[in-house]
Order: sequence, then C-alpha cells, then structure tokens
Amino acid sequence: MSAPILSAHNLVKHFNAGGFGAARKVVRAVDDVSFELAPGETLGVVGESGCGKSTTARLLVQLLTPDSGSVRFDGKVVGPELPLKAFRSKVQMVFQDSFASLNPRMTMIDAVAFGPMVHGASRGEATRKAQDLLDRVGLDPARFGGRYAHELSGGQRQRVNIARALAFDPQVIVLDEAVSALDKSVEAQVLNLLMDLRRERGLTYVFISHDLNVVRHISDRVMVMYLGEVAEIGPAESLYSAPRHPYTEALLAAMPSLDPDRRTLEAPLAGDPPNPIDPPPGCRFHTRCAHAFGPCSTQVPVSYKVGKSHVAACHLNTSKEQVA
Amino acid sequence: MTPLPSQSDTPLVRVHDLSVRFAGTPPVHAVNNVSFDLAPGEVLGILGESGSGKSVTLKTLLRLLPERKTRITGTIEVDGQDVLSLQGRALADHRGGVASMIFQDPSLALDPVYTIGQQIAETVIRHEGASKTDAMARALEMLELVRIPSARRRLDNYPHEMSGGMRQRAMIALALACRPKLLLADEPTTALDATVQIQILLLLRDLQQELGMGVIFVTHDIGVAVEVSDRLAVMYAGSFVETGSVRDVIRDARHPYSKGLLAANLVGAVPGTRLDAVPGAPPALSALPEGCSFAPRCAHAEAACSASPIPVWTGGDGRWARCVQASRAEAMAGAGGRS
Repeated sequence: MSAPILSAHNLVKHFNAGGFGAARKVVRAVDDVSFELAPGETLGVVGESGCGKSTTARLLVQLLTPDSGSVRFDGKVVGPELPLKAFRSKVQMVFQDSFASLNPRMTMIDAVAFGPMVHGASRGEATRKAQDLLDRVGLDPARFGGRYAHELSGGQRQRVNIARALAFDPQVIVLDEAVSALDKSVEAQVLNLLMDLRRERGLTYVFISHDLNVVRHISDRVMVMYLGEVAEIGPAESLYSAPRHPYTEALLAAMPSLDPDRRTLEAPLAGDPPNPIDPPPGCRFHTRCAHAFGPCSTQVPVSYKVGKSHVAACHLNTSKEQVA
Repeated sequence: MTPLPSQSDTPLVRVHDLSVRFAGTPPVHAVNNVSFDLAPGEVLGILGESGSGKSVTLKTLLRLLPERKTRITGTIEVDGQDVLSLQGRALADHRGGVASMIFQDPSLALDPVYTIGQQIAETVIRHEGASKTDAMARALEMLELVRIPSARRRLDNYPHEMSGGMRQRAMIALALACRPKLLLADEPTTALDATVQIQILLLLRDLQQELGMGVIFVTHDIGVAVEVSDRLAVMYAGSFVETGSVRDVIRDARHPYSKGLLAANLVGAVPGTRLDAVPGAPPALSALPEGCSFAPRCAHAEAACSASPIPVWTGGDGRWARCVQASRAEAMAGAGGRS
C-alpha cells in the first residue's frame, strides 16, 4: 500500500454513563482502533448499533477528542503537527440526518458558500463556487440555490450536504450512514453521484453503513467493528467471500438472501448485541460466538494476518502470523 | 374461538377498489383504486418507498385513520365482515380480535407505564372476558411463544427494561394474544440491527405457520419481503403497479419501477459499477399525473403512458403489471408466436 493519506493510531474514546466512584459506568465506545487509508481508496465500516462506527468517524474528523491515540493526515499528527483548520479543509464529513446537518435559516447557496468564506474566500468567489458545486451534484442553482432546507426532499438535501463537503476541495470525505435515510431509488442516485465524484476528484472515502450490500458495492476494503473494537479488516472481495472472524460470518449470514428458493433457515446469532457499558472479558464476541473455546472468555485476541492486507482478531487464526 | 374454515377458496381479506383521500387544500390521494385478496394463511408483502401509501393501506384495514379528515371509498372485507361499516363495539372487537397490527417502533406502540404482562392481559380480558389469573397465564404463554428467555421474569418488565429485539417480540406477543386471523405488520424490523432483524423475521414466519394466520407485511426492503412473503405487491404513488408470487416478481419483474427497485437493491450488480438508478423522485400525492404515475421517471415512457386507463398485463397465477410497455411486449410476443 502507498503511504497512507489518513490513519488512526490506537484511538480510544470512553464516555461517562453516570454513577460516581466505584459505581461509575463507562461506555467503551471505541477501544484501541487503528487503521490506515490509502489515497483514492474507499474503506467501508460496518457493524451493529453501538459498535462504535459513528464515534470512530467523529474521532477521525476531530469532532471528538480521543482519550488517547492520534489521527495522522499525510504523516502529520493532527493537532500538534497539523493545525485543525488546515486539517478540516482536507477531511470533510457527511452525516445521516440531512435535515439536522443544514442550518434551517440559510439558503442552500449560502450553506455551501459559508465554509469557503470562513476560510477567507470573498463572497463572490464563494458563491460562484457554490453554484458550480450545486450544479455538479445535480441541483440547478437557479432553481434550488435560494431554497431553505425544508423546501428540499431528503435526497436533494443530501446532495447539498455532499456539495458543502466538496466546497473545500477535500481529499477525504467521511460518510456516516449518508445514504441510509434515503429511499432505495434515491439512494442509488446518490451512490452513483458519490462514485462519479470519487473518480473525477480522486477522493478517498470512509463509508460507514449498516447495509452490507451497499458497502460491498462501493468499498475497496471493509472494516468490521464489534463493541468498540476492530474484528476484521480486509479487501471487500476476500472479506465477503471468505470471512475470517465468526462475527463477520454471522453478519453476512444475517443478510436477507433475496432468493425465494434459498431463504434463511436459521438466525446466525441469538439475542441482541451486548451493552458496550460492560463488554464481556476476553474476546468481546465470545458470548454470542458459535465457535468459542478455551481462551476466548479470558484472553483478548490479537490480530492475525489471514490474507493479503486482510487481518482478523480471532483466536481461531492462531496458526497465522501475528500483526503488531 | 371459531375454527378456521377448511375451505381455503374464500379469501380472508377482500379489498376492492380502495381509495383513501386526506382532506386538505389540495386533498392528498394517498391510496388509489387498490384491489387485492388474501387467502387464509397467506403472506402478502407490500413493497414500496416512503409515501407510496403502503402504511395507509394497512391502517385502513384496522380503520386507524382519523375519521373526520379521511375519505375512504371502495370495500374492505375481513373474515366476511364489512370493515368500513363497523362502528363502536363491533369495531373494537375487530381491532385485536380479528385483525391486529405490529408497528415499526415498539417503544412508541407499547404503553410505558404498564408492564408487558399487564398489557397482554388487558387485551385478553377485553376480548375474551377472561379472569385476571387466566389472562396472566395467557400472557406468559404468549411470551414463551415468541421465545423471550426467562419469560416469567419478563412478564413484570416495563418496556424500557427490555432491549429493542425483545420489545419487538413483546409487541408480537401482544398482537397475537387473542389469536387474530389477520396480522398486519408495518415495517416491524426496520429499526433493528441485521442480526436481530433476521431473528424476528424467522419468528414471524414460524408463528404464521404455527397459527395459520394471514399476514400483510409492509416493507421498503426487498430482502425482507422475500424472506417472509408468499406473494408480493409493488406499490407506487398510492397504487399497486405489479403483483405476483415472490419468485415471479423477483426473477421476472415487468414494471419498470419494480425493475428499478431491484437494481437499487444491488441485485446482480457488479461492485464499483454505476447503478441503473431510477431518476427523479416520486410525485406529490396531492398532484398525481394523469395516466401512469411513474411515467415522469420512466425511461420507456411514451404518449400512451399519460392517458388513462393504463392497460394491465396479466400472467397466470394472479400475476399482473399495470404498464403500457409490459402489456404491449406481451401482445407482440403472442403475435410472433402465432405467425
């Protein structure tokens, strides 16, 4: 892999969940998460609710400060070596809720032009840029530029959010469930737009979603998270065809089959995901894992290299080489 | 409890030419001329996007829509009863007794100030006049039926003490407590994680077979619809545009909208390639276009598509699609076969 454009190093983020002293409860939202992004690639992030995928996204764009660990952009540690303002123009984010992420009192043209103006562009310059960008995401600026967020449909608003993220000419965009709230036919349009933009501008995406079909379609590599940890990360192709972590296997088996003659006969996992407040000891997945054996309930699994740039944190792979 | 009629030709649900308008300026045409039958023990999946009228259709079957603002025309028969004429106690008997419903969000559908046991028992007491003890025993039986672990302890839980998947099971138990003949499911797994969703779908499929109920399952997710349904109806802008057995609709969709939905669900798509996306957005239900509502978004639209009525293509086995192109393709194939 070429030198990473963005990388996470041992990110940890715990949230206080009430209580004092010994009774203090801590949500271990993200626990020691590391990964790298090569320029131009798309990394899909999947996992159930509460697995820490959104917290990881927010740590990555510095909307949250990690308890420990660091984010590097182009080899420079964000904060000490790379000022936040410079970093923000390189790494942008699009959120799930297209309505909540737009200022209800701003017209769409102003919403897109706002960022560049804060970063020193003149009003005329920023407005021109905003018009070009709205046009690029498929919204006629003459028709939609003067509208407010409530005057657009969900798909149109998400296009505006994408245009706004592009206003800085960023190199990386973090998409946190950016298409999940859209209807399927509109979702397909926005996915096409994202794939076109990626090709045109050489963008790098972190694509977070609970929809495994969509993630497979758009991603080069996929990271599977479970209760704040990385269970498995690898090329989309090999991870989907030959998962090496039982959790990945279960997630894939839980996908509806889309084939009336091969309906799912058995649920791959029982029960709901456990609470991240008090995650199980050892491997956090061992309470739901069909293959759990001796060390799983006591020893935290290290990461094993199970294929070309394919890593899984599971005791079943002990025959493989460990990853530092 | 009356036993199910052994004769399965009499449909459990018969909906004919159902239209629902919401008052307003302009009025909203939420459901337009929908007709379908549901056999006892059959599962019909209604597939559509937001605003397609699928939930409104379902709510009409229980008469849950605000009466003063809604105008319903057409006929609905459930188990031989004319649902639209039901009033007062008879309507209350219908809701929960003959037909009952499960919703997307159980934390909104369940009452937060009563325990799960109390809520199920209340239904049983109201519908079957059971004693409190008997009703509680039924509640326990129901929780066991939906496979809630340590059911006896869960009886005394309030909804907020349960996880999302568990609450959804509790709501299913509540809906089935009086053994309805018809279960209406409105996106019951949409808010759940994938690994929990499949558990609930399998549970519903098992219970449907065990209890022999008819089910109408509304969803926007083709994958979910395929897992549970026998038959599928695709809904767009308040109308059914295509129906047939799940197998036929998935393998051989005839309506361009159904095809677009399948493409958007990445059926057979090669990773990284552009998707065959349907352009535009659904029309406003207050200003539906004349003729086919899908024509403005359709790649094959022609002049005939904006004239009413749109011809209907029919295949065997209750299969049809309302589309100019689909019916012409069939006519040509037929002519070609004869010459």
